[in-house]
Amino acid sequence: MSFSTMLYTMGEGMLRTCAIFILTILFSLPLGLVIMFLRRSRFFIVRTITKFYIAVMRGTPLMLQLLMWYFGPYYLFGMNIRGYRFAAIIIGFSMNYAAYFAEIYRGGMETIPQGQYEAAEVLGYGKAQTFFKIILPQVVKAILPSVTNEIITLVKDTSLAFTLAYNEMFSLAKQIAASQTSFVPFVVAGVFYFVANYAVAFTMEFIEKKFDYYK
Amino acid sequence: MKKTLAVMLAVLLVPAAIMGCGSNSASGNADAGGAKYVFLEEDLGVESYAIGFRVGDEELAEQVSGAVQALVLDGTYAKIGENYPEIKDYLCLTPEGIDESTLPAKGSGDSSFTFKHGFDLDYPPYSYRQDDGTVGGFDVELCQAVCEYLGWGYEAVPFNWDAKDMELNAKSCDCIWSGFTKEGREDDYTWGITYSNNTQGILVPADSDIKTLADLKGKIVGVQTATSAYDMLEDSQKELADTFSELKVYETYTVAYNDLKAGAIDAIAIDMTAGSFLIADDNK
Amino acid sequence: MILEMSGIQKSFGGLEVLKDISLEVDSGEVVSVIGPSGSGKSTLLRCATFLETIDAGEIRYMGKPAAATGSQGKAVYVSHSELNEVKRYFGLVFQQFNLFPHFSVLRNIMDAPVFVQKRPKEEVHAEAMELLRKMNLENRADAYPCQLSGGQQQRVAIARALALKPSILFFDEPTSALDPELTGEVLKVIRQLAEEKMTMVVVTHEMPFARAVSNRVIFMDRGVIVEQGDPEEVFGNPKQERTVQFLRNYQR
Repeated sequence: MSFSTMLYTMGEGMLRTCAIFILTILFSLPLGLVIMFLRRSRFFIVRTITKFYIAVMRGTPLMLQLLMWYFGPYYLFGMNIRGYRFAAIIIGFSMNYAAYFAEIYRGGMETIPQGQYEAAEVLGYGKAQTFFKIILPQVVKAILPSVTNEIITLVKDTSLAFTLAYNEMFSLAKQIAASQTSFVPFVVAGVFYFVANYAVAFTMEFIEKKFDYYK
Repeated sequence: MKKTLAVMLAVLLVPAAIMGCGSNSASGNADAGGAKYVFLEEDLGVESYAIGFRVGDEELAEQVSGAVQALVLDGTYAKIGENYPEIKDYLCLTPEGIDESTLPAKGSGDSSFTFKHGFDLDYPPYSYRQDDGTVGGFDVELCQAVCEYLGWGYEAVPFNWDAKDMELNAKSCDCIWSGFTKEGREDDYTWGITYSNNTQGILVPADSDIKTLADLKGKIVGVQTATSAYDMLEDSQKELADTFSELKVYETYTVAYNDLKAGAIDAIAIDMTAGSFLIADDNK
Repeated sequence: MILEMSGIQKSFGGLEVLKDISLEVDSGEVVSVIGPSGSGKSTLLRCATFLETIDAGEIRYMGKPAAATGSQGKAVYVSHSELNEVKRYFGLVFQQFNLFPHFSVLRNIMDAPVFVQKRPKEEVHAEAMELLRKMNLENRADAYPCQLSGGQQQRVAIARALALKPSILFFDEPTSALDPELTGEVLKVIRQLAEEKMTMVVVTHEMPFARAVSNRVIFMDRGVIVEQGDPEEVFGNPKQERTVQFLRNYQR
């Protein structure tokens, strides 16, 4: 296999890796917000269920969860899972990362002094306005470094999609390495992950700077 | 800007450095003359590769097995074998003794049916990603020929080897056909025809002092997880494995082979076809 | 009457913090509330501004009921929307300022009038600049709270409260979080507001200020109003033993 064929083949895998990455970010960031609210719910039962959910998502290997999401519908309900592979991967990643993001958000929420809520209340802001206008922007600033960490982990975790035989880049690297008896595909994969994460870190640093105007 | 440049440079240098190292260590063994890696004459045992179907799928197994035999008769089987020199010698089906009258006729299958071929893409030369980047291998070509013969549609379902049973039971594929060893799994599947034999052997550097299985005493031997070689060393050849100083289990043979090249391990337990494929480039 | 509170009771986990307190504030009055810490004066203010819910009693603003004791002896609040109406009558300045750190000074002042009260931006902007001038901060409109001293932040907080045009303004120990040399500039602003006949209730530890600025002083201790009246009377000639003791401790 020529180097250019290898790059071309792995390039397709990179697109799939990017698809997993982007869709996961797109779903898990807002979903994490919802889970965080459920986690802080007034109702004991909602709180407990959410806590359990987060514990499972953080306490079991993502690889296992991916298998669960994909094969679960068949084994539990006898459903036909043909064509469901990609959706299962996105669901698996999003549900897992949402749990992590929820806990990061919750940590961020706890850094906001009670006085901010009280000031907003006295000034007449409603609950939703208070959250989105006053609290959330401050939470975002507080959690950016942890979110960056999590996103970088996600870039690398996309390789776990091989569990469900979705031919993302790392699966392809393994396949080409096997057929070419060569390490070069792994090096190419490594360079890709590094560059991708460099771009992530660069973007997040840019966003962090945007929030630097106040302390 | 300077920082960015420095990082870019580092990124470009790392692979170059690694590739450089790789070629150095490979040339270090060049004094063996001709073959750099060889199989020991003694082997670990013989096994048969067959097509695994869901338990109870007798009819499908029969149809596919019949079609394979028909392809033996018309020469397609041998012709595909020509493309894979590592496999050629292990193909066990011959036209003798095949009763043509019992075989399904060409185009006799249900044309609306799509046969879902489940296989591992990490397993050259049976099923793997080929030089042009497409999916191929002996099993893939043979399965495609079977589908063409019967008039079925063909669908490739590459899966993760560790999840093969889940994939089969959840019906995301109709068979496991990927250098799949029958021995030890007789009751777990409904088996189709055995189309290839294979021998499990021990691969060592040509200049190694290991000449017999007994020489492996106190040596480090590598093997890939979930392979027949591994199963043998855990079962029928357990006594032999106990003489090793360590049995190192790898995710893929690619890594094990690089460890062998680098001298980190002394030998690899692997089937002859996959092993021949592995060493083909270095033995040129 | 701008504010009428009567029979207010409040306890935290069995501890009675307010025991049957009544307080009325008339238009233009400046009332100082003094007392040792833990006397319930801050809680009274928080009850008046609905940051705490009362257990029993009655609260009215401009004659409109906000809460009243129901048939079961528990305080019942009016509906959410009615309460929001009532909230417009008062403003509150916190001990810790509680400015929004991600908003500029100007936005801190303008945001609530524009987005909560839905008033025209230009009009609010003009008023906000006028308020900043009054606070002697007209050149800091674009600064962020973290760039200001504590005294400046508290003056912005006062401007923010005034921008909503409250009928009564509460101060919860407005100078307690400030370095001593910065309290003067805040007290000066409050004094100025008093001269303009702004109705105010100030919980404070600044005795000379309370004596000089207020029309009435309330001394609270252990959840009750021990003594109240003209500042000269309370400070100069306290009737109750506890008041005497408190003031004596304070002067030392």
